[in-house]
Formats: sequence, structure tokens, C-alpha cells
Amino acid sequence: MVLKKANAKRSAMLSLLLIMTTVTACSNSNNGNNGSKSDTPSASTSESGDNKNESPPASPAASGPSGPEGKYDPPIEVTTVRAVSAAAELAPGETFDENIWTKTFESDLGIKVKNLWKVNAEQYQNKIAVTMASGDMPDFMNVDAQQFQILVEAGTIADLTDVYAKYASDLTKSSFEGSNDLRLKAATVNGKLMGIPADGGESADTHLIYIRKDWLANVGLQPPKTMDDVIKIALAFTKNDPDKNGKNDTYGLSLDYNLFNGWSGLDGFFNGYHAYPFNPTKGTGTNLNFIKGSDGKVQWADVQPEVKTALGKLADLFKQGALYPEFSVIDGIKSGELATSGKVGMTFGSFFVPTWPINNMYKDVPGSDWGIYPLVSSDDQPVLAQSTTGLPSHYFVVSKKSEHPEAPFLLLNTYMEKLYGHFDKNYHTVTVDGKDYGEFGLAPINGGLPGNNPRAAVAIQAAKKSGDTSALNDEQKSYFDQVAKFEAGDATMWAANKLWSEGGVFSLQGQYIDNHQVFTSAYVGNPTPTMVAKGPSLRDEEVKMMTSIIMGSKPLDSFDEWAANWLASGGQDILNEVNASGMVQ
Amino acid sequence: MPLHLMLVPGIIVVLLFSYGPMVGVVIAFENFIPVKGMFRSEWVGLEHFKYIYHLSETREVLRNTVFIALMKMIGGLVAPLVTALLLNEVMKKYYKRAIQTIIYMPHFMSWVIMAGILLDVLSPTSGIVNQFIAWLGFDKVFFLGNDKWFPYVLVVTDVLKEFGFGTVVYLAAITAVNPSLYEAAVLDGANRWKQTLHVTIPAIIPITILLTTLALGNVLNAGFDQVFNLYNPSVYSTGDILDTYVYRIGLASAQYGVATAVGLFKSAISLVLISLSYFLAYRFANYRIF
Repeated sequence: MVLKKANAKRSAMLSLLLIMTTVTACSNSNNGNNGSKSDTPSASTSESGDNKNESPPASPAASGPSGPEGKYDPPIEVTTVRAVSAAAELAPGETFDENIWTKTFESDLGIKVKNLWKVNAEQYQNKIAVTMASGDMPDFMNVDAQQFQILVEAGTIADLTDVYAKYASDLTKSSFEGSNDLRLKAATVNGKLMGIPADGGESADTHLIYIRKDWLANVGLQPPKTMDDVIKIALAFTKNDPDKNGKNDTYGLSLDYNLFNGWSGLDGFFNGYHAYPFNPTKGTGTNLNFIKGSDGKVQWADVQPEVKTALGKLADLFKQGALYPEFSVIDGIKSGELATSGKVGMTFGSFFVPTWPINNMYKDVPGSDWGIYPLVSSDDQPVLAQSTTGLPSHYFVVSKKSEHPEAPFLLLNTYMEKLYGHFDKNYHTVTVDGKDYGEFGLAPINGGLPGNNPRAAVAIQAAKKSGDTSALNDEQKSYFDQVAKFEAGDATMWAANKLWSEGGVFSLQGQYIDNHQVFTSAYVGNPTPTMVAKGPSLRDEEVKMMTSIIMGSKPLDSFDEWAANWLASGGQDILNEVNASGMVQ
Repeated sequence: MPLHLMLVPGIIVVLLFSYGPMVGVVIAFENFIPVKGMFRSEWVGLEHFKYIYHLSETREVLRNTVFIALMKMIGGLVAPLVTALLLNEVMKKYYKRAIQTIIYMPHFMSWVIMAGILLDVLSPTSGIVNQFIAWLGFDKVFFLGNDKWFPYVLVVTDVLKEFGFGTVVYLAAITAVNPSLYEAAVLDGANRWKQTLHVTIPAIIPITILLTTLALGNVLNAGFDQVFNLYNPSVYSTGDILDTYVYRIGLASAQYGVATAVGLFKSAISLVLISLSYFLAYRFANYRIF
């Protein structure tokens, strides 16, 4: 009897203990849930409050700067989240948490930037979506155009109009206002500045043709003048053993499953046929190109007959073995490996191609040298290179709950100053043991001065001709020195030479701009509701159609079927919304 | 009675983590905007269900899901069963153990790693499988890029990865067979084959039926990890399953309402199937929960 009683008591105690542990464990996680479910501000503030306990909740003016310059004393802490590029190699001692930028921000501005989390760049967009859903936002974060839209609607991000006016430096302001105020306009909703555009205003994504010069010489061909030349080169690279190894193991044109991309994309190929489709496999499905017809109504670029023509040429290239037969299952990193291992000799790509993936080939692969050529046309009409980066694709947004909504502007002021105002190379690239490491990508915030690079290229080439470098600013001088180093025989500076020299990337892209050869979408608004709702599934349809036509598993005429289907399953709604938006140029 | 108190923690956990989140299904009927929360987003009724119904891919995706899941169930039944019976006949203990361990290993590998390996192994240009096929004199097969082959690649690779685990379960069932049955069979003049046919197999049939019927509830789970890591646009038509589809059109583009609607639909089907499978297990395998 006694024994039984003791047993009962023991089990009661044990279960009580269990209950307590589970309940406490749950109540912890439940707090976090509450924030999202019932949207009670108290739960979330108490959580974000944890991070800021050290900083006094006083008004910014009392302890910190009252304009574009100044320092917080005592230092404050602001939180953000980061995407980490898998391909990026960091300089020894530098991390995404602590690097030259964060140290400068802390010492010069009294702002400690804390990363709440870091995630692979490919996962970033999804992780942000989850963060938005949980309601537990960092002080500021980088979101894409669609998420920006959602956050504005939900009213959880701060109105930055006043802090922008008060805290943004002149340089920062000029970077917002460049190229027709496009960046500022895009970030302004109903007259209020709701975000800091992270990009936009540039046309650095216009494509160029990159071709192995040594291969061209081996097959006895000249650089392309027309699209027919491009195809001739692609076929010669496939069949005429351009690497002289006696094996039939090369491909003419680089391609991977993304179809549209800054590396091994097809954008430039399509542009050659006056077609301007854009809908990357891994894209949002909402960044679309529109063309204004003669009746003033917009048409979608991807369903135009010119696209079909170009697809037919691609299908033929595939059939003749000029495209990697497995392109539909490889990503950009794999297609990059094909190029660096000497299997592919031509690609369409944007400005960054010399810096990745082919940056080390000149040094590592004897005799290899990639030439850069402007896009060519299929007929006597001039070619237009498409750009989809005129509008910002990403914004930094500031949480309404942030105690220091001005902090991101102070960070951005410093960023602009170090990279564009008085260029300091240490913030851009450091060289350790003969290897270059990018530093600019480590900054928790970023911006840009539209048109900066083409301007720099012109200045550098002028200085080279005259021998007078006095007109160059610090940034331009450092590029000038890199080019000089390359000319003195430093093979590691190959990429810099390709970027800045005459006939280089930025010269050619500058020519596109000067000659009005840049195509941009006629629609300048943010994604419409139908684009958001149906964009992803329509994107999948388009990618499937293009992939199967190129690979020959479907006839070319299935393009027409797809185009009709697009209109029927939401495309017409998208066109109607775009036409009614008043955002057509 | 006091011992029943021990149930309380478990019940609380179930209430909190299984019943609590069910409130979230309201998202399926809302134009859900995360930051507005579940109770303040606009109510749209069955809008999302209609939207899914009218999407051209939905039926295709559903068909793929069921087909792939059923094939995996069959493969996942036959392969481990046969392996277990064969291993049972192996006399050398260390040999048996070694095989068991080797086939069990892939179970612990994530699909991310497996996919990286498979991409190389199955490549038509350089993969070992296709070199073997070419050596035999057949045409090379683009396993991961051909929509006819892709579902079978999914099934075979899944079975390869998981059959070691199933084998262990069946081996355990075989070990539990009463040795005196074998002795009696030997006295009656049964050879190894007859013993397997008339003693081993009848003895493990109940557990086989049980595992199979319980797997029915998973017929709409065709394996997100695997498909997501292996598929690509050219095999969407046969390889896209509900989970990957919802991920692409729903979660990745922040359409939570649509994603939840599909989730709810999946749960409803699974509820029916699980009830059915329990009934079948109850009838044929003498399986009792209560």
C-alpha cells in the first residue's frame, strides 16, 4: 500500500516535471508565433528589444548625428540579414560579420551592424519570405521588388522621406537622382520614399559576345559581324577541333538551364534577331519586357515572332552539337566549369564575365585569351541590347519598429564616400599573396552611381592616351594602375584590362548607351497583381517551351500554341493591367 | 489513474504542435499578407482552390505525384523484401553484416549530396552508367533531362537509397520466426526453397501488409527533397510533384494563400487514405491502435 502510494506520488511528480518542461519550451516558441499570428506588437518588440538593450532608447538627435555626418556616442546597434554568395572567396580574416566595412561603421559612425542570420544567396529570397511572415524583421534588410510591394501594402516598413532629406549626403542623393530620377521614383510610393534602391539606373546587364580569340585563330575565322557569323563560329568551334587536341570534345556556345543570365545567357543571342524576351528559369516570373506597338498599346516581348526565329536557330545549333547536350540540367556554376576547362569557346554575357568565371584562364590556361565583341545583328537593322536593370530589382527597407531609421542612410553615405566619393581601394579589393579578394560585397548595404563605370572607362582611356592621370579620381586611378600592371606583364590583372581598356566591357556598354542601342521595357511600373499571381506558373511554361524547342523534343511551331495559351491563361489580363497602369513609356 | 497522468505532456505537445497550427488553414481562404496576420487579411473564400483548379499544370502534377509515389511504394516493398530473404540465406555472419551495412549507408546521405553524385553518374557524356549502356551497344540515355525516363530515375534512385533501411525491418521480422517451425519443415523433407516459401514468407506477411497499407497515407508525398534536387525545367511535365510545384509557384513567390490551399487539399486526401489504410490494416493484418 505504502509502496503503491509512493509510486503514484513519484509518477505524479514526474509528469508534473514533464509538463513544466514542455510548457516552458512551448511558451518560448509560442511567443515568436504570437508575433505573426495575432500581430501583437508587444511580442515582437520584446524580441527585437533584446538586441538593443545596450543602446539607450533616447531619440537619435540626443546621442547621434543630426545630419549626413556625425557619430553615435555611445554606439548603437542595428540589425540586418545577409545573403552569402557561394562562389565568393573572402580575404583571410574577413567575414560577413566582421570586415573592413563593419569596423569602419563602428569606429567612424558608432554604428554596430549585427547580422541576425546569413544564408546562401540562392535561399535568401525564401528566407526573407519566411522572415516577413514571422513579423520579426531586422532593422533593415534587402528585399526584391515584389516583396517591397507587399511590405509597403502591409505598412510595416518605415516612411523614409524625412530621414532621407535630413541624413542622406549629397553624393547619396545624387545616386538616387541619376538617370531621370528612375531609382528615386521607383522607391517612392504615393509620394513617400519607402525604400533605398539597391540597384537600378544602370544598363550593365546589356550583353556582349565573349569569344576565345585563340580558338578563332585556330579555326581561321574573323570576329562576328552578323548573327550568321556567330552561328558559323559556334559550328566551327564544335566541329573543327578549335583546341587542337585531336578530339571532338568542344561546344560552340555556352548555355545552362537559366536561359537568361549574365553568364551563358541567351539575351544577347535573341537581341541579335531583334527579339527581347526575358524570363529566367530561377527568376521571379514578374520582371517582364514589354514593347510598345504602333497603336500605343503594349505587347509582351516574349511572344513576338522574332523570338521564334531565334529559337529555330538555337534548335539547329543544338541539333548540330554546338550546345552542351545536358544544358537543361546544369546551372551557371557547371557551365562556368565547362568554359574554364576549355570545352566551350563562346558565350553571351554581361559586364561581369571577365571577373567570373573566366578571370583566371589567361593566367592558368596557356594561350587562352577571350575577346570581347559587341552584339551583332541578323540583318541591316542595328542591334539593340536589352537591359532589365533600369528599375531597381532590390530595395533596402527599414522596419517601422527600428529605433534608428536614419542609420541605413548614414551607412550608405559612408559606402558611397568610400567607393565613389573618395575612392579607397581597401574597401573595394584587397590583394593577399597575389590573390585578389573583393571587399565591396561584404558591406551590409550597397548602392551605386548610375553610369559610373562607362564614365570611368572613358576617363581611363583618355588618361592613357595623354599620359596625364591628374584628371582621374581615386577610383579611376586605381583601375588605371591595374591596367598598367597588366600591360607590364601581370597576368592576374587580366580582368581589369578587359573591363577598362579600349574595346573593353565598359567601353562597349558605353557605346550602347551613346548610340541609343539599349532596349528597355516599355512598362516601368512594379509587378501587377496578375503578374504576381500567375507569373511563376507562366514562367515555368515558357521555360519548358524554350528548353524543349531548343532540344528538339518539340517542334518549333509549338511556340505559336504556347503564345496563344499564354494570352488565354492570364497573359491578356497582364497586358490589360499594364496598359491601364499609366506607367508605360 | 496516476499513471495516466503521464499522458498529459504528450497530449499538450500534440495540442500545441498538431492541433494549434491547424488554425493556420484559414490562410487557404484568405488573400494572405504575412505582416497583416491571419485574422486581418482579406477573406477570399474558395478563390485559391478555383485558381489551382484552373492552372493547366495541376492535373498533370497530381498525376505525377500519385504515379511516382505508387511506384516508390511498390519498389520500396519488393526490393527490401527480396534482399532480406536473400540475406537470410547467407551463412557467413561477417559477410551478411557487411552487406547490410553497405546497403544501409545511403539512407544517411542527404538528397543534396546524392543529387550531386547522380548528376555525374547519370550524365550521358561522361557518366559511368551511360558508358556501360554504350558498351552494351545501346543508345545513351539522358536520364535527368528526358521526361520519359525521369520518373523511373526517381523511383530507382529512391529505392536504391532507402531499401537498406527496409531490409533491416524485414530481417528483424524474419529473426522473430520460431526456429521450431524450420525444424518441423526439415523433418517433413523441405529444402531451403520450400522452407522460405512455406515458413518464412507466411511468417512475415502480416508485417508486410501492415507496412504497405500504412504507406498508403503517403501517396501524395512523392519526396520533395529528392525531386527538388534532381529536377529541371525539361522534366517538369513528368517529374513535377505537388510539393515542388507549390514551392515554386507558392512559397518562392510569397503566394501563401495558394500554397496553404494545396496543403489543405493534400491533407484532406491523406486523411481519407489513412482512414482507408487503417481499415485495411485492421481487416487483413490484425492491426489495432486502440
